[in-house]
Amino acid sequence: MQGSLRAWEPSILKGEDKWVRSVCEMCSSRCAIEVRVVDQKPVWLQGNAFDARIHSSICARGLSGVSQLYDQDRLRTPLMRVGRRGENRWREASWDEALSFVASSMQRLKQNYGAQSMLFSSKTGESFDLLSSFAANYGSPNTFSHWSSCPIAIESALEQTFGERAYRDFEHADYIVNFGHNLFEGLDIPLSKAMARFAANPSKKLIVLDPRFSIMAGKADEWYPIKAGQDLAFVLSLLHVWLRDAKYDHAFVRRYCIGLDALKASLKETTPQWQERYTGIDAKTIERLADEIYRAAPRCILDWGHKATTSPAEFQRTRAILIANVLMGNVEKKGGIYFAKTPEMLNALIQEPLFPLLQSPYPTPEVGIARIDGAGEERSAYRFVPKKHGVLNAIADAILTQQPYAIKGWFLTRHNPLVTVADPQKMRTAMASLDLIVVNDIYMSDTAMMADVVLPESTYLERDESIHLHHGLVPSYTMRNRALTPLHRTRSLHEIVRSLADALGFSHAYPWKTMQELRAYQAKGNSALLESLVKRGYVQATIPHLFLREEASARAFCERYAHVEPRHVLEMFERRRKTPSGKIELFCAHIEKAFEGYGVPCAVDMDVQQNYPYTLISGKSAIHTNGHTQNVPYLHALMSDNPLWMHPSTAKAHGLRQNDTCYIENEIGKEKVKVFLTEGIRPDTLFLYMGFGRQTPLLPKIDRKGSSASKLLPLKTAPVCGAMITNTGVRIVRA
Amino acid sequence: MSPMWGSTAQYEVMHWSWAIAVYLFLAGISAGSIIVSLLVKWNRHERSNSSIWDAMIKSGTLVAPVSILAGLFLLVADLGRPLSFYWLLIRFNPLSVMSLGVLFLLIYTPIVLVFTLLVFERTIVKYTWLSPLGSFIEWVKSLHSYAKTIEYFLMAAALCVGTYTGFLLSALYAIPLWNSPVLPIVFLTSSISSGIAVNILIGLVFFKSTINTESIKYLLVLDLRVIMTELPLLGIFFVGLLYGGGEVSSMAKAALSHGGLALVFWLGVIGIGLLLPLATVILALRSHVYRVGYILTNATAVLLGVLLLRYYIIYAGQIYLG
Amino acid sequence: MAKAYRLIFDENLCIGCQACNVACRLENDVPEGVYRLQVHVTTQGVFPHLGMHFERRSCVMCDEPPCVSVCPTGASFQSKDGLVHIHESQCITCKYCILACPYHARFINPVKNVVEKCTFCFDSRLSKALDPACVSVCTTEALRFGDVSQENSTVAMLSRKETLLFPKAHLGTKPKVCFIPARKGVKV
Repeated sequence: MQGSLRAWEPSILKGEDKWVRSVCEMCSSRCAIEVRVVDQKPVWLQGNAFDARIHSSICARGLSGVSQLYDQDRLRTPLMRVGRRGENRWREASWDEALSFVASSMQRLKQNYGAQSMLFSSKTGESFDLLSSFAANYGSPNTFSHWSSCPIAIESALEQTFGERAYRDFEHADYIVNFGHNLFEGLDIPLSKAMARFAANPSKKLIVLDPRFSIMAGKADEWYPIKAGQDLAFVLSLLHVWLRDAKYDHAFVRRYCIGLDALKASLKETTPQWQERYTGIDAKTIERLADEIYRAAPRCILDWGHKATTSPAEFQRTRAILIANVLMGNVEKKGGIYFAKTPEMLNALIQEPLFPLLQSPYPTPEVGIARIDGAGEERSAYRFVPKKHGVLNAIADAILTQQPYAIKGWFLTRHNPLVTVADPQKMRTAMASLDLIVVNDIYMSDTAMMADVVLPESTYLERDESIHLHHGLVPSYTMRNRALTPLHRTRSLHEIVRSLADALGFSHAYPWKTMQELRAYQAKGNSALLESLVKRGYVQATIPHLFLREEASARAFCERYAHVEPRHVLEMFERRRKTPSGKIELFCAHIEKAFEGYGVPCAVDMDVQQNYPYTLISGKSAIHTNGHTQNVPYLHALMSDNPLWMHPSTAKAHGLRQNDTCYIENEIGKEKVKVFLTEGIRPDTLFLYMGFGRQTPLLPKIDRKGSSASKLLPLKTAPVCGAMITNTGVRIVRA
Repeated sequence: MSPMWGSTAQYEVMHWSWAIAVYLFLAGISAGSIIVSLLVKWNRHERSNSSIWDAMIKSGTLVAPVSILAGLFLLVADLGRPLSFYWLLIRFNPLSVMSLGVLFLLIYTPIVLVFTLLVFERTIVKYTWLSPLGSFIEWVKSLHSYAKTIEYFLMAAALCVGTYTGFLLSALYAIPLWNSPVLPIVFLTSSISSGIAVNILIGLVFFKSTINTESIKYLLVLDLRVIMTELPLLGIFFVGLLYGGGEVSSMAKAALSHGGLALVFWLGVIGIGLLLPLATVILALRSHVYRVGYILTNATAVLLGVLLLRYYIIYAGQIYLG
Repeated sequence: MAKAYRLIFDENLCIGCQACNVACRLENDVPEGVYRLQVHVTTQGVFPHLGMHFERRSCVMCDEPPCVSVCPTGASFQSKDGLVHIHESQCITCKYCILACPYHARFINPVKNVVEKCTFCFDSRLSKALDPACVSVCTTEALRFGDVSQENSTVAMLSRKETLLFPKAHLGTKPKVCFIPARKGVKV
């Protein structure tokens, strides 16, 4: 396999000043970066300009990659637990000892309880794909990605409505309605840059709905401090107005969608007046906005967002927003929403293999055992949750009740559920009862503290990884290339899984031993692609952007590729969808059958405050990534605490002043907070930035600093999609 | 930075702290005391039985070099890199008040030292271990025809030293509370008043000789005159700031009313430094009670007030930046 | 023709993410606890009529720098192309320049114990015709840098098109850093 392909192998020369192109992992936007390495030491990072959407841009977190690399508090060697779980006593071990312990423990669990007794979880991405394949080969169906704590509602709604993921053309839109999608703090450089340009353009309009005056709200033309969890009411009233006045794309809906009648029926009562008491937004405003959006259509986008705090109505809310886009006729229009143009589709259209096809290096056989959460199972509450991704909120109870069967072990990589998942107190109790916990991480995180074996992972700057195909208007390929060899005795997940697969007897499942072999396998021997990915880090063929229903776009494409005719382009759009009806589903009959009343968006499940006086919401900051970066020196110096945002009138009512300490509590837990007075939040709402309030005695810089919103989140999930609910009712208690 | 991230700590550092305040005080005392010394020397009538004036001259020539040397030592020690202070001596920037100040001090200090040696000639001669100085003095005395010129130079240099400290601060238009043309006048006046006070203090303590009620009365009246000049000057200074418009005005208001620093000003500078001596003098003059005790207390109070004024201006300027 | 550097900060594009802050730290080895560059984010107004404002805080490279005229040793000096530099070896850390700067851009480097400030990354970048670090990393390309005397430079074209505000212009410092003020949000 290696032979002639060695030519493209990256060689690390000594005493040099060079640029290595790679992929960032300081958050999961995974922007293409380039690293300047001088004498084997990374000294500078910036965006990889081969990705024109990024140019040389990189955010504070990306730039702190070097700070993380050299962080003294990083894990350097495998650690084995001494004493009781969670006691924080460890001894160093060799990799051989650690890995053989893990393998023999996993073997024992499989023999005594079945492979399904072991859980496997990871943040979505390459590590999850690899881990899922490892779990499947081991024989366990219980793989968990972070989806259920993050984008599952969106993925679910997109799947059920369109049969595939949709993307937003922010660049060319004229009008955007943003539902708390805070791209200016939860950064994703290509999207954030496009949104910044949009917001700075005086001829375009940005409407932002958010209970908090976030940075995104700060850039809005109109900001509406909507009551938390009430997005659905707002959208339903918009839909009501459009249908009432017949102001929508009739032709498109008639031709490509089903369920308009069901939608109309559902929206009978959801008038602008009706939504007033839910959202706090004036009925006249709804009428005006509905009119403005319709005038801007199809160059308008109702942005379903990403990781805004969720309500039980999350599935309905997202579906409603998708349907709003559909009604405005912006599907496959410039400045609207579009679907991925896959390599297969484009190669077939152009009749040229312009976009390399990849094969998955992670074989994931079917495991014939039902999951503990019933994801993807016929009669389960989670039948519409993808089998691969699962429901994180279901884990704690499943372990504690030993239903449907005993759970004895958990393998985690790039995952910190004690910070990111609801009710960590219960999770901690559940974890305490397990026989085996293996954590692969770069820091001794809260979750790692509960492990039996802690494996130290190499940081992304020290890892070579596989090729990643990015979908969008034009497919692109990136590859992570390491900038230096590991500083400490750390390894990559690939090396760990490879070793464990050998020890557990399914070595043959993987058609590769080293990363070079994996890449060659993935690229199907395409050495030109690999060479390009090593040198440039980002590969994208230049073709005209194709919006399937935009005449000018189709024409430009046809001009470029003479044999392509407009009808080929239209055919591409009119192919049968991967939905039960083959069309865009405004009404999902199969969902209605399983969950009565959820087939079409309607006003349900919006109450997040639940008889408490305040709603606690949380969100991302531009400085930190969830629960990952708090200890990174550069970032810690910028932000080391997360005081609770509170409106001055609320504080006054409780006799609280700036920097006072108090508690917020509900039936799940009680958390100490520091008061931060601000006009930028509704008086009935409180806000915490994510990722603080840690229990990490081995990371004293961050241990017990700040507050954790997770401790107040219930393990309830949103119907149909299984999403974790992150809006929660609380009361304020004086210290 | 925002309340959420970043840090404003580096903007809140007191770059010039107590050491600079004390230096300004010492420089003021030095210049003030030598000016007073010279004025007394020039206006003394030979026939008047005024051992007190002798005491005033003597103390001035003693205090001036000691305080300026102590001040310079403090300045160098307060530098971030004290050992690099020699750059001040080998580089000159005519636009920089600090550089000009170095120049003035380089002229002032040696002349003051020489003057001191001349005044204390008889005392020096008494001690054999100071004999090398004796020959030096002999050489200087040979220049006695230039004595008056040296004294004029000394007066000029002292005035420069006494005034430049004010310009040092007022040249910074970035600092609203310092950027007033009245500040150098305030500093000069206050330094002369501190000069009088210290000369009285040292004079009475170390060079007692005969003190009579007449001279005490005169000193009290002198005290009164100086305070009556200082009070309105401070008033003009702050009123000027309050009418300075916008930021200057609001900063001045805050500086005069907020917290401990405002207390330092009203209690320390005005109360102890000016009103207390004023009251004492008026009462003493009214009831014809001329006691040494009153004078000594007054002198100390005035000196404290002058020190606190420097302290207040230095800190208030850096805190109330706007 | 003499260079006329200008750095334009577009408040409309800035999102306060502090990428510039960290880039500066990484490029110039700025010690912990001090900053050559930060973006100050404030919320103004009364709920629900609010505005968010972004202000770049760093040296503005005055054409008439007060920090140069006050320096007693000439350690703070202005080069021919108008940039203000610091001769570390000649700095006695008297802190006069720190007080003189109306923009509070200067500070004491706790490791070297001399005065420091933004240099437009002169040594590592500008002298090699590269943009300063902050400009090249900005996530929303809110910073534009160049020679405004060159007719076709980005900054020259932007200067002809946009309203530019020069911070504390009334002091007569003639800063090279200017900004395009925010068009949205309440201003108090």
